Order: sequence, then structure tokens, then C-alpha cells
Amino acid sequence: MSSEALVETEIRGSRLRAVISAIGLAGLGLIAVIVALSDVIARAPAGTLRAGPPSLPPDIAYAFGTDGLGRDVMSETVHALAVTFSGALLATGIAVVLGAVAGFAAVRAPLKLGVALRGIVGVLGSLPVLLLAVVAVSIAGHEIAPIAAGFAASPTIFNRSFDRALRLARSRHAEYARATGIPALTLLRRDLAYEVRGNFLNVAGRALASTTIALATLSFLGFGAAPPHVDLGLMIAGARASYLDLWWPALFPALALILLILFARLAAALDEGEPP
Amino acid sequence: MSETLLRIRDFTLAQAGAVKPAIAGFSLTLEPGGTLTLLGETGSGKGVVLRMLAQPIRRGLQVRGAIQVRDGAEQPIGRSMALDLRTAYLPGPHANVLNPDASVLSQLTLIVARKLRQPKTSARAELMVALERFPGAPTLEAFDHPPPLIAPEVLATGLLAAAVAQTPDLLLADDPLGELSPAHARSLVSALKAEQKRLGFALLYSAARAEAANLLGGNLIVLRSGSIVEEGPIARLATAQSHAYTQTLFRSVSAGERQSPDRSAARGEPLLRVQGVQLVTRGKLSARDKLNFELRRGASLALIGEIGSGRRALARALLGLDRVAGGRIVFDQVDIGVLNTAMMARLRRRVAFITGDDDALDPRMTIFDTVSEPLRAHLDMPRDLIAHNRDAALKRVGLAALPGGRTVASLSPFDRRRLQIARAIVSQPLLAVVDEPLRGLDAFAQSVVRDLLRNFRSNEGPALLVVTSDFGLARAFCEDGFVFNEGRVVERGSIATLLRAPQDPHTRKLLEAVAVSPPAAAPEPQKPPAGFTEPSPPAPAP
Amino acid sequence: MWRDRLLRAAQALGSLLGALVLASLLATLSQHPHGFWPFLSAFCAKLPVVFGGDFGRSAVTDAPAITNALAAFPATLQLLSGGALIALLIGIPLGAFLSASRTLRAAAPLMQIIAATPVFVAALALIWIAVRVLHWSEASQASALSWTAFVKPGDWSAALHAFALSALTVGVAGAASVQLSLRRAAVRAWSAPYRNGLRMMGLGTLDIDLRYAAPEVLAALLRDVGEIALALISATAVAEWVFHRDGAVVLFLKSAALGDWNVVAAVLFLLAVIKLVAEFLGLAASWFVAREDGAP
Repeated sequence: MSSEALVETEIRGSRLRAVISAIGLAGLGLIAVIVALSDVIARAPAGTLRAGPPSLPPDIAYAFGTDGLGRDVMSETVHALAVTFSGALLATGIAVVLGAVAGFAAVRAPLKLGVALRGIVGVLGSLPVLLLAVVAVSIAGHEIAPIAAGFAASPTIFNRSFDRALRLARSRHAEYARATGIPALTLLRRDLAYEVRGNFLNVAGRALASTTIALATLSFLGFGAAPPHVDLGLMIAGARASYLDLWWPALFPALALILLILFARLAAALDEGEPP
Repeated sequence: MSETLLRIRDFTLAQAGAVKPAIAGFSLTLEPGGTLTLLGETGSGKGVVLRMLAQPIRRGLQVRGAIQVRDGAEQPIGRSMALDLRTAYLPGPHANVLNPDASVLSQLTLIVARKLRQPKTSARAELMVALERFPGAPTLEAFDHPPPLIAPEVLATGLLAAAVAQTPDLLLADDPLGELSPAHARSLVSALKAEQKRLGFALLYSAARAEAANLLGGNLIVLRSGSIVEEGPIARLATAQSHAYTQTLFRSVSAGERQSPDRSAARGEPLLRVQGVQLVTRGKLSARDKLNFELRRGASLALIGEIGSGRRALARALLGLDRVAGGRIVFDQVDIGVLNTAMMARLRRRVAFITGDDDALDPRMTIFDTVSEPLRAHLDMPRDLIAHNRDAALKRVGLAALPGGRTVASLSPFDRRRLQIARAIVSQPLLAVVDEPLRGLDAFAQSVVRDLLRNFRSNEGPALLVVTSDFGLARAFCEDGFVFNEGRVVERGSIATLLRAPQDPHTRKLLEAVAVSPPAAAPEPQKPPAGFTEPSPPAPAP
Repeated sequence: MWRDRLLRAAQALGSLLGALVLASLLATLSQHPHGFWPFLSAFCAKLPVVFGGDFGRSAVTDAPAITNALAAFPATLQLLSGGALIALLIGIPLGAFLSASRTLRAAAPLMQIIAATPVFVAALALIWIAVRVLHWSEASQASALSWTAFVKPGDWSAALHAFALSALTVGVAGAASVQLSLRRAAVRAWSAPYRNGLRMMGLGTLDIDLRYAAPEVLAALLRDVGEIALALISATAVAEWVFHRDGAVVLFLKSAALGDWNVVAAVLFLLAVIKLVAEFLGLAASWFVAREDGAP
């Protein structure tokens, strides 16, 4: 392809990605606003029993209906979304720092140390994030569920970042840079600038999606949030006993969860991770 | 017998929605056994003609024009055209046309089998017979490896054998010599012309450089931006060029011959001192295998030889990238053999690289970042001063018009080469290593890059270490040179002396490849020239 | 080449040993050491024991932990195998379809919108569809809690339906990973410069695809078996819980909740073995199909 055609394709592709990312960020922004105003938007505090008649299907008065204990499903969903979102943000921060940043930095460490670290983290990466998080929560308690999810998600991100950074370090352009005295720290800054900072939305968006799934699943299994801090996963678990008939207490939190994950992925411009 | 093999009339091709067509109003006539070269820069449209003949036209392209084969009926050019013509496509070894993972032999055998509609065993035999006609060609087994493991000149021979084994009526050669060394290019052209004479096929050759046209002879069409600039016999156009653009293309051929570097006035202390360094460690060694020389500040040295001759090994050793067995290398008065990695990195700050390797620059980086990085990394400069130096360097190389945020990945090889020079300019190096800087560039781009390198040398004044297989390039930039073959220095001295009186057969072979004429000036003085001194060998160790 | 392969084999072995070390760390918790040095001391004592295959005894059943774990694994392996089969049956055609043209390749990331549904939500949705739409069961609300409780002995149809739903849950999750891997490999293979070059030199598209592109795609898929296995194991973990299959993961979750660390260690180690063995076998198979950096 000629260089002009390449530039044109690059510009079109980056514009499309920017639009998709903007939609995702707008969605996340909306969720953030809802979370921030949760106490205003929700008609009752979290867990308020008999806020309305029990087991009421969605109607004009109760847009999302009420559950078997008379709790307003919309209020509960908003509060649960707040718990999930804030926990996922914390987990994402941990995963990005421990995963992406550490992965790139480890390559610049003395080679044997970096490879040893990769080996250790590689073992952790051979286990499902969920099960690692379960172990961490079982040891340290439910309160650390978001931290556990972040730690559990970081090995996979670390391994990918390390492998990518190693490929970059062994590339011809890195060799030429070293041959002209460019220090290792500058090359690390270069990688962090282009791979992490430049791709920050992609990295963080993907991490947010995977930590949200991990946290919600943890809660569903009973290893995440605990009452009174009910999150979306726990809400769905609670509705599971009766959802074949009372579908709305399970559906709306599930939709909220799916939308959060979807917006996180859109914010990452639907980036699918490792380049070919 | 028909007088005309192929006639193309008013061929125009454009991408849907494109502002201008890739090629417009192109016509050609080619006789059986004739040779026609299409000469032009990248984007001139020469490749479009070959691709139209080699494969069905892609959907979505707007095509006009007519084509006629021999005495057949004229038909419109398009997806449904059926040509009663046996064609064979001959690409260059660097064109990545073969699967990089599969054996070259298996791929070439399959291609010949499909084209000749024969079983693979017969096709393999045809390939072997075709190879045996090329003097010094390797056996079939040499091709039983993936392309990256085969030397480019060997691969080029294999591709030519596969093409002629198909006994085509028309051979479509897509710049197969483009990135070969001059010696190998000449050898391949001889083989091609011999086969053309034997088989009688017509040759349509697409070239980015006029050297290929000179070697092939026949007729020439000069293209620019999709239009014909000029056409006629090579013999006429090479000497009595009429169009200014054609003159530019042919001038770049002889530019290397005519312009020799001015001997630098500034001669400081030795920048590089090599004592007793040995590249060859196996086989029968002699005292001649130990290298002793100096390179002074501002001087220049060419390391001339084919790929695998040892020139790069020496360049890497001089920069401390590879350890050498024995000997001592002193760079800027520091023995690099005693330095650790961090100290070596500090030393290398005064080294710049300009190479024909398109992977030398980080494709993720922007133009601005690429040029600014050495300034930020090595010097404690304020931002505005960095920006000022960066902009000045980009202006000097002609890249100031491009948006600074554009990535290296989106640049053409020509732009990347200039960007490397800009990066070298801001580094203010003591030593610039220039490794085949003109590789893969068309004639116009080569002339620009040559001028920029001369300008860089005269303004920044670094010592120059040129790694090349082209004596013309060595002559253009260097005062002195080593000629390499099989890991050894076979001859050394001033370039002028090497040109005037080459002693070694290998040196003569390299010279013949580029047909560089020796200087007509008075004989060089016999004393060692300034900047390149050969100190007496060190006293033997007790 | 052989050096590189031996290195990979050594890495796989190293990872297995690393998994044993991790299991030893977890098993050490069963001794309830208080403080860092007591923990380290207990770990050093535990390590050679675990390396010898002894994960200790279950705090709940007092049986050897590895015996408990192995007894529960057949159910997990059944679900994993069924899910893997469905993942391949859905994922391969889907991946091939989504890489067939430039438009489809560009639109393929939109699959993530569908894949935004967590596994447990998808599982509950499938159960709802099976009961309310397909009427696979007339069970009351309680059936959602214990599907298999209503599968009578010998009621193969109901058992098959229950298994099919859980395997479908796992399979759909795995299919997302399979199609991504296949699509990446197909895009790499079909956008390679040699395709056009070989066409210009006279080979047909079928020749090029069958001889060169297909082995590359297959090899890439085999190299990603480890990642696909990890996705399947994660989905199996959730599916076992939702569908109340008494597999290894349910045992793991219950043991973790009860602090039965020896069993946790044993199950985790066995899951790591599955993933690492699958990864190495896939890698080894890819060597026969096509070299990682190259040649068949």
C-alpha cells in the first residue's frame, strides 16, 4: 500500500476508534454521574424493606418493580451499581499499575530477574482470575474483594505487557537506539508513553471490563460484596431463587452490569488486546 | 510471424474516488524478444502496468484502455480480459512474494508445475535444468529453506530460474535487481539476457533506478505520476536526454562517480584506534588477519564488501556491539574492552546511525519524538531549545512540511531515511555509521539522500564509517577504504588508489559491478593520507 | 529450532513446578501459622511433602486432599470437554466467517458487545429460556436452585438437557476465545504480502489458502490452546456453581469458604496442570503443523 493510502487508512481507523471510544466514555460518564447522585436518584436508601408492595412487576410507579421483600428494584440497582463501579475502579487501578506498568518495567530489570519474575507471574497467569481472587478473599476477608480482583487480574496483564515489552526490547529499532547510547530508562519511558499512556484508554478500559466481570462473579459466588454493601453480582444471586417467575429483580441489575462492561469495552475502542 | 507481441493503448487506472489516476493514457508496443524498461520513482505507475498483466484486476478499480496480443483482436482492459500470452512474473528477492515459512524450493516447484500444468517432479527437473544454465548457480538443495535463510542473491537466482523455466512469451520483471549489490546485479542481468536470447521471450522491466536500464539496453519509457514523460531507445535517452526529469534520473547514476568527497580540513586526534583486532578466528590465520588502523576526527572510511563478507562484523566490533577475540579498540581515547554496559552506552551517545534498514526507527514514534529523543536523552536542554533544534533539522532534510505528530509507520522509506538523517543531525555525533543508506530508494530519492548526507558531513563534520557493497557510494563519501571478502580484509588504501590500481580480484569484481572510472587527476602522493594512519604494530607481548 | 523447543518444554516444566510451589503455599495455610517466620518455616517443611504428591488431609472429610480433588474432577472434565467441543463447533465457523471479508473483519470487534455478558448471567438466561420458552422442565421455582435434583436416576433425557445447558454455557464463553484466536490468525495469514506475490507468480487462491494460509491459521490456533483452556476453565467454574454440578470447582469454592486449604491447594494445582498440559500439547502440535516463526 502506498504511504498516502496507509495514512488515509490510519486516519479513518483512528477516527472510528475515537468515535467508539467517545461513546464508551460518555456511557461511563453517565454511570459515574448516576453513581455520584445515587442517593438522590434512588428513592430509598440501600436495603430498605417494604419500600413498596412486594413482588410488583415494573409499572409507572416502580419503573423496575419491587422484589419479594418489597424493595424498590431501581433504587437497589442504583446503589448496587455504585458499589460495583467504585470497586471495579479500584481493582482497575491496581491491575494497570501492577500489570501494565510493572510488566514493561520488568523487562528493563537485569535480564535474569525479569525472566524470573515473568516465570513466577506466569504461573499465577495459568490460573483463572476468578479462582485467584477467591483464594485472596478467603484469606483476607470480603472487604478486600476489589483489591483481590485487581491483584488477580494483574498477572494476565503483566504477562502480556512483559511479552510485548520483550518483543520491543529485541526489535531492530531498540537495538539501533541502544547502539547510539539511548539509555534503558529512556526506552522504558518510550514504551510506557506509547504502550501504556498512549494506549491508556485501551488498557484501562479492558482492565475495567475484566475486573467488573471478576468482581460481579465473585459476589455471585458469595466471595465478593457482603450485605449491607450489596453489589450487582450479589443482587443477581439474591434474585436467583425466584427469577423464573419474578424476572425483574434479576434482569435490571444484569442489564446494568452488562452496560457497565459494554461501555468499558467501548471506551477501549473495542480493542481486542494483543496485536497480531 | 507477428511483428508485435503486445500492444497496450491508452491504459488508465484509478482507485474509486481517487483524485488522480494511478496511471493515465499509457501506451506501449513490445515486439517478440524485445526489451522495454519502465523507469520511474515510487508512485510513477510502472508497477500498475505489470500488475495489470500479471493478475486479474481487482474489483472497485476504474479501468480504461485496450490491449492486443499478436494479431488477435483488440479487447478492452478489464477483469474479463483473456490474454493468449504466456507470462512469467519475476520479483526481487526483497519483495516478500514468497511465504516466509515454507521452503523456497517447494514454492518455486509448485509455481512452475502450475504454470506448465505438469506434475511437481517434472517441474522440479525443469527448475534444475534452468539453474544449471546460470554460471556458478547453487544446486536445488540450496533453495530447500525458507526465504529468510537464503542470501538475497541466491534467492534472486532461484526466482529467475523459476521464471525462465516457465518458457514465457513475456517476462514481467518487477525490479528484481533493485536491492542487490552491483556485482550480483550485473551477474543476474547477464544471466537474464542470455536466457532471453535463448528462449526469445520479450522482457518488460520495471525499474526505479537507471542503472538497470543501462544494463538491459533496449527501449525505455520514463514515467512520472502516472504519465509518460519520455520514451525511446536507451542508447538515445542515456546520452541525449531531452526531458529535465529524465536527466535527473540518469544524473543520479553518475553522481557517485563524479563527486568525490573533499578531504576534510579538520584533522584532530584519532577518534578510533584499532590494534590487533581479528575477525576471523577459524581456519588458516596469518598476520594479515590482524587489523591495525586509526580513524581521525572528521575523516572517513568505507568498509566495502558483499553481505557476509565481514564488513558489518567489523563495524559492530568497532562500536562495541560484539566482542572480538584479541586486540584492542580505543574509541575517543577510551579502551572499549574495559567498559561495562552503562559506560559503553555513554560513549555511544556520540555515534549516529544512518541505515537502509527501514526497521531502524521505532514505528510507533512520531516525527517530532524521533528527532527530539537524542536531545532529551543525552543533553539537559530546555524544551524550547529542543524544539528549535528539532525544527531546524527537519527543515534541513525537507520534512518540515509533514505534521510532527505523524508516526514513523506511516512514512515512506524515503521519508524515513531523511528522518534518520535529521536525528543524526541533532545528535551532533563524533562518528556517523552509514550502512547502505540508498537501499530500496528510487533514483530521485537516492540523489536527495546523497545530497543530504554530503550536507550533514560538511556541516556537522563527523567521522564517517560507510558500510556498503557499492564502490560508487564509497567513492562519493569516503577517502579511504577496506575491501572485505569471507571475513578478511583483502585490500585497503585510499579509495583513489583502489579505483586506479586494484590488486585483489575481489576488489576488481566489485569495481566492475559499478563500472566506476578511476579519477583522472594526478597520482596520489605515496605518503599515508591524513585521517587514515597505520601505526606500527604494537610490540609483541612478553 | 530444537533448542527453542527444548526451552519451551523446560518452561512448561518450570511452570508446573511453580504451580506446585503455589499449592505448597496454600497448603501451608492449613497449619494456621501466625507471623511471617513461622509461615516461612512451615512452608519450607511443607514444600518437599507437596512435591512428593502429598497435599495433606482434608479438614472436612479427613480423607487425603488429593483423593477428594481427583474424585471431583471427572464431573469437571466432562463439562470442560463438552464445553470445548461446543466452543470449537461455534468458534471455528464464526471466526472463519468474521475474517472472510474486510467489512466483516472490521465489524468483528462488535462481537465484544455480545461477549459483554458475564458467564453467570448467560447461564441464568439460558435456564430461563429452557424453562419458560422451551419448556424443558415443568419444575417449580425451586428447579432453578437445584436442576439436577429433579433429574431422576435413569432419566437420561433430563440429564442430557441439564448437561447440554451447562456445556452450552461453557462452550459459548469458550467460543468467544476460539473465534478471536482464529480471526487474528486468519487476518495475519490473509493480509500477508506473500499472498499477492504468489498469485502474481501464478498460484491460485485455493493453492495458497490450503498449502500456506490454512496451516498457519491452524498452528496459531494450536498455540493459543492455553488461553482458550483458561477461558474454558473460568467458564466451567461458574457453570458448575450455577448448575449445581458436584465438580472440582464447587469443591474448591466450598473448601475455600471453609478454610480447607489442603483441598484448595490440590484442586488449584490440578486445574493449573490441565491448563499447562493443554498449552504445551497445543504448542507441540503446532510445531508439526507450522514453525512458530515460520516453516512447516
